[in-house]
Amino acid sequence: MVDSSGQAAALGPLLETKLYIPGRHLGLLSRSRLIERLNQGAQRKLTLVSAPAGSGKTTLLAEWLGGTAASKRAAGWISLDPGDNNPALFWTYVVAALRTARPDVGERALSWLSSARPPAIEWVLTSLINELNAGDQPLALVLDDYHVIDAEPIHSAVAFLVEHLPPRMHLVVATRSDPPLPLARLRGRGDLAELRASDLRFTSEEAAAFLNEAMGLGLSAADVAVLVARTEGWVVGLQLAALSMQGREERPSFIRAFAGDHRYVVDYLVDEVLHRQPDRVREFLLQTSVLDRLSAPLCDALTGRDDGRGILESLERDNLFVVPLDDKRHWFRYHHLFADVLRARALAEQPHQVPVLHLRASQWHERNGLPSDAVRHALAAADFGRAAGLLERAGRAILATRQDAFLDWARALPDEVIRARPVLGVYYALALLPDDLEAAEARLRDAEGLLDRASERPEADRGEMVVVDDEAFESLPGTVAVVRAYLAGARRDVPGTVLFAGRALDLLPEGDSLWRGAAGALLGLAHWSSGDLEEACRAFAEGMASLRMTGDVSHEITGAFVLANIRTAQGRLREAARIYERPLELAAGRGGAVPPSTADLYVGLSELRYEHNDLDAAVRYLRSSQELGEHGGLPENRYRWYVAMAQIAQAEGNLDRALDLLDEAQRRYVRSPDPDVRPVAAVKARVWVRQGRLAEALGWAHERGLSADDDDLSYLREFEHITLARLLIARHRSDRGDSALREVRALLDRLQQAAEEGRRLGSLIEILVLQALAHQAQGDVTRGLASLERALILAEPEGYVRTFVDEGEAMRALLGHAAGRGPAGAYARRLASAFGEPARLASTPLPAVSAELAEPLTRREVEILRLIAAGLRSKEIADHLCISVFTVKRHIANVYGKLGVGHRTEAIVRANALRLL
Amino acid sequence: MTDIYELRVQGHLEDHWSGWLGGLSVQRHEDGTTVLVGPVVDQAALHGVIGRIRDLGVPLLSMRRPAHEIGDGGDDGR
Repeated sequence: MVDSSGQAAALGPLLETKLYIPGRHLGLLSRSRLIERLNQGAQRKLTLVSAPAGSGKTTLLAEWLGGTAASKRAAGWISLDPGDNNPALFWTYVVAALRTARPDVGERALSWLSSARPPAIEWVLTSLINELNAGDQPLALVLDDYHVIDAEPIHSAVAFLVEHLPPRMHLVVATRSDPPLPLARLRGRGDLAELRASDLRFTSEEAAAFLNEAMGLGLSAADVAVLVARTEGWVVGLQLAALSMQGREERPSFIRAFAGDHRYVVDYLVDEVLHRQPDRVREFLLQTSVLDRLSAPLCDALTGRDDGRGILESLERDNLFVVPLDDKRHWFRYHHLFADVLRARALAEQPHQVPVLHLRASQWHERNGLPSDAVRHALAAADFGRAAGLLERAGRAILATRQDAFLDWARALPDEVIRARPVLGVYYALALLPDDLEAAEARLRDAEGLLDRASERPEADRGEMVVVDDEAFESLPGTVAVVRAYLAGARRDVPGTVLFAGRALDLLPEGDSLWRGAAGALLGLAHWSSGDLEEACRAFAEGMASLRMTGDVSHEITGAFVLANIRTAQGRLREAARIYERPLELAAGRGGAVPPSTADLYVGLSELRYEHNDLDAAVRYLRSSQELGEHGGLPENRYRWYVAMAQIAQAEGNLDRALDLLDEAQRRYVRSPDPDVRPVAAVKARVWVRQGRLAEALGWAHERGLSADDDDLSYLREFEHITLARLLIARHRSDRGDSALREVRALLDRLQQAAEEGRRLGSLIEILVLQALAHQAQGDVTRGLASLERALILAEPEGYVRTFVDEGEAMRALLGHAAGRGPAGAYARRLASAFGEPARLASTPLPAVSAELAEPLTRREVEILRLIAAGLRSKEIADHLCISVFTVKRHIANVYGKLGVGHRTEAIVRANALRLL
Repeated sequence: MTDIYELRVQGHLEDHWSGWLGGLSVQRHEDGTTVLVGPVVDQAALHGVIGRIRDLGVPLLSMRRPAHEIGDGGDDGR
């Protein structure tokens, strides 16, 4: 029933048992009044079945789904357990469960979820929801035992799923306590159906039907009433009572004794039931109660006997609270409440036996290739050495997909157990990154200390050190170097990253794709930070190739984004565009949903189109990126959208809007492993320069400790230094030559030298442009033209336009001089004609825009639109037109609505396209 | 912070539940209720015990911190 692809295999063979719809195993009573309510509830989005253990929730839902042919419906089912609090695992089960009913959906989602760095869960769900939308058959998804889930990210994602549920789909949550979902809101909107404890209780009629018809007990109405009163209609109570009375002569006296007793219903009745079992069965139940899932071989391993199969079969036959978990009757579980009762008794009666049983369970799971369960039982047995050993052996595989699960287990181990284990310690350090640098450092030091001391001893003597996985120990120095490089990277220690990543690549064996890939990527990022771009590309591409060999495709797009960024800095714009486009083409070739992080690629493409002065396309890409939503890209790349949009606002002369967008970019900025080579604050300073707000720009330069005679011209500060040069040239112009330009020219010379050494063509072109402007500002047009000519020659093959055009009138004049002269004359002429861009933008309507408005703008609205385009704020427009700010805002809202846009820049672009201005 | 808690549930629980319910002692009362009483190290442990009571399907009737009730009375200053 579960797909046979690698995904299911990676989850282990127990996956099937979690997705199996439990058969109707307890009694034969059909609860038609509740089935009817479930059928009605299925018209809504969510059905909540919230009632205590033993209320018959699972049985009812299984009957509902299995029911008569007429009501039988396609459904996915998950029996949750506490181990499912890992979001990636939880959603993997959800997708796998849906695939049992709809094998055509979720393939992509599964591959994302199994990657080391899954995209935002909303993204995965959106893709899944889109696929599910295509179906026209009703589909139900049942999350049974949802009360075991306490991970907040899972709750919020389930809420997201409910909110965006396809119309033909229905979600059922069965739980012992109300889940933290927005129930009140769902209730208010009529999206929620509920079955609660009082609904699930047996009525007197149902109890009579169950006891007398299904169980054939032949009780009087009075006796049934007494049982219903004593159990309060609690389903499990009545079932246990029925079991206790089967084959018993004196039923009325049993009922009287039961009714006259205060004991907890389950205690009383389980005693009755157990007393009627042979000693061997009673013993078996207590011993195997430590298991979450039972199979005959596993039970035999615990009991040391070979009667497991026979006993399990007889328990099922006698309805003794075992639930089959597959069609082959291979796996079972005890009814949860019954299992709790048994466990509490085992703990009270044989406290020393329980850890022994867990240990045997751990050994059996290890032998049978189920490391997660082996670790869990070892921890339950408090056999920490064993748990640590298991974790060490499975560490690499677990870390690649379930870093948080690894952390949970490692944290359950006593400190000294980990500190004696170098391999485990290094894995632990890696799992702690990048969130807890201190703790990772401490773990790494412990491991290094062990390795140092070991190197002073003969090889066979491991002293205090414990090693389980000898192969991992052999390559541990290389692994340590990777983690050191990662740590250095997280601390922005570039030389340290280069040192350790290089060492890792020296030490690690060729075949170690995972660690070699990580080391290559880290080395690439470090070289990027230091401005050695060619080396950065080489190392990063090699790392990506290694990672690809591990079969994890999640790095494809994030890797492409980094590589294209480096190529852009190198001035290889056309190659950068190809790198951005390739994953998009691959995805299109494969069909189906757009891959995660696509929104980032669109932003990158927009930036390139911007440089090429194709503003229509630049806006279009940003709009496409925006349409993919908040989760269409990586959170750390989100700010780039605002920077790109700000650039477009600038090109349209709307500098205030640009600053607003840059403020938003600053709010959105989050640190990432990528170097921050274009700090948003410096981009803002550039806008201030264009606005003539030189005091503010100088304040920024002061704050950043920048000066023209800085010694440190590292690549990470290059953008700031170029910004400073631009600022100083502007100051010279504004104070009509009072401030000397000599030091600016010297700064530019040194920047030019550094850019040439690092072969950063993009930077070099911009530096040459500024040199040309500096010479021009001093009245030395000849030397200015010489610098400009060099910039033009470099710029032409890659089609740079905005780097020149954005410099405004001064550059326009220089280009006029250069036009038609020398080898770059033709290109200069082309650039000169590109000035006055907003006008040109209007001549090429946006393809996404319809040629006419459904509802034309009023004269007043057009007037206001023009004032918006002129850069006026609402208050200024109000003053200008002598109307209230409120009225202006209302007009603006109307304009935006008619144009179908969200903000000023879009409105202006759209209005230009429609020739409204 | 460790505190003494008293949880009253419906029905009589047997002594063997003590270990399962956080080691609280089990006192059965004539009115057909059981009081679980003893030290609970923190809120997480308390919620663990409440979760286990929920899992047994036993109605939880009330919960007290006897020491604090006396303290509160004194703090009233009456």
